[in-house]
Amino acid sequence: MADNDNVQSTVMSILTDLTGSDEVTKNPDIDLFTTGMLDSMATVQLLLELQSQLGINVPVSEFDRTQWNTPNKIIAKVESMQG
Amino acid sequence: MIDNIITAIDHYGETDPERICYIYGQDTNTYGELKTKSDHLAQYFAQSELPDGAPVMVFGGQTFEMIVTFLGLVKSGHAYIPVDTHSPNERLTQIDSIAHPAAVVAVADLPIEMPDLKNFTHADLAAAVQTGTDGYDHDKAVAGADNYYIIFTSGTTGLPKGVQISHANLLSYVNWAVNDFDLHEGVHALSQAPYSFDLSVMDLYPTLVLGGKLSALPRAVTENFKKLFEVLPNLKINEWVSTPSFVEICLLEPTFDAAHYPDLTHFLFCGEELTNKTAANLQKRFPDAEIYNTYGPTETTVAVTGVKLTPEILKDYERLPIGYAKEDMKIWVVDEQGAAVKPGTTGELYIAGPSVSKGYLNNPAKTEKAFFTEDGQQAYRSGDLGFVNDKGLFFYRGRTDFQVKLHGYRIELEDIDHNLDQVKYVKQATTAPKYNAAHQVTQIVAYVVPNQNDFKDEFALTQAIKKELGQEVMSYMIPKRFVFRDQLPLTANGKVDRKALIAEVNK
Repeated sequence: MADNDNVQSTVMSILTDLTGSDEVTKNPDIDLFTTGMLDSMATVQLLLELQSQLGINVPVSEFDRTQWNTPNKIIAKVESMQG
Repeated sequence: MIDNIITAIDHYGETDPERICYIYGQDTNTYGELKTKSDHLAQYFAQSELPDGAPVMVFGGQTFEMIVTFLGLVKSGHAYIPVDTHSPNERLTQIDSIAHPAAVVAVADLPIEMPDLKNFTHADLAAAVQTGTDGYDHDKAVAGADNYYIIFTSGTTGLPKGVQISHANLLSYVNWAVNDFDLHEGVHALSQAPYSFDLSVMDLYPTLVLGGKLSALPRAVTENFKKLFEVLPNLKINEWVSTPSFVEICLLEPTFDAAHYPDLTHFLFCGEELTNKTAANLQKRFPDAEIYNTYGPTETTVAVTGVKLTPEILKDYERLPIGYAKEDMKIWVVDEQGAAVKPGTTGELYIAGPSVSKGYLNNPAKTEKAFFTEDGQQAYRSGDLGFVNDKGLFFYRGRTDFQVKLHGYRIELEDIDHNLDQVKYVKQATTAPKYNAAHQVTQIVAYVVPNQNDFKDEFALTQAIKKELGQEVMSYMIPKRFVFRDQLPLTANGKVDRKALIAEVNK
């Protein structure tokens, strides 16, 4: 079972890989979409990685960008979904 | 068989004017409107004293006014150059300087002033469609070898190339598509690709000549997944046309299946490699649908090979075929000397026949390099690597050069390099694609030797480079990842060793 530290480090490693920058860890409140760090295809990759690495199924039809736009918000979302 | 695109579309406006043609959100437009408005626009353009036969830029999004304008222009004897609203401003300037267009039609407001060019504003169009009579001068309309549209695509020198597609090219494509993809009169198609991308022609013209409906799905909807899945099930489309990347987004949603989309019977893919996994997943979700994989460079009009993906094909070929040659085309495989090779041997694909473009607009050097004549037919050296098996099925295996497809968008890596080199913070730059296990490009990585700068860290430098580059190139051409180096690896000849960088990215 994944604990919260694991969620945090896994999400950060996925985001670092997708954005090609460790800025996500340095500035976890950065807006990933307005900075152009993530686009829709990278978002799809994010959802697929969350599924394969953490077993989290995010229904894509409920994916609202405004609630997933920073590393911290993504971590909080994933933690809440692990319930 | 259709013998004229314009009259085939007008036929529905004349015989069934109330028939629905275009759907955008809550708005619908009919074939009667399409005919009347495009007739009026054709008369208006004819009276505007534009130089005969000169192309016209059309700037806008995915709206009914765009197809009215396209049709109005070809009826008045002018090819159109579609430019999507998501293009950087510099794109408009570049196309203007290469194409020497007669005018620009601002279906959407232009983001920059183009004072040296005749401008038709949205208000001009709105006034013009209200006046005039039915009909247009058929002798003036685009026909035969006249250019019908010109689509600009990435060029290795940093400047785009305008691919000229004639009425004869388009006709050859449309007749094949209607027949080989088993499309029926009144088909209701998804219109997702922007008009500046030739994938849009795959849904636009076969649908219009069949008196079908186009449901527009603009970028504002596709980017917002929540919105996308509110809209998509209500479109009730029969025919899906997209890149494999876009359907992969939709397959993430468990309700994207035949039970929730009972009208969806046809899937057509083009623009990049369709993986066996995606096709198999789709076949499981839509067991009765016809799924087609196709292939073709913009220079040969949308697509020149196609195949219906049966469960047997998915079982037999781990890497899927791109299809059989369109019947009026000759496609063959050659070695590095240009000599034909045996079936099963990989080489460059050469394509000849009636849907091959006459060449690049105002660019004889590039045209001569890529085009030639084969047995009296126009022919194109695709730069794509592939082979044909003993059943006549073609397979794609990569490129002879550094052109890549990123989610369906065609990009010359040299084009990005060239534009990166112009950025003031960059001393030298070379890009490399990152591939996944299914041979798809997932990311473009830039290796940059920066100039002296005062940015507090690499992230700030990266953002500044991306911002400046974004003023010159399409957003999909901006590398996602930047790696900063003091120097780049060189080959024995002293050139930047891109292959070493590609190996490093993909290790």
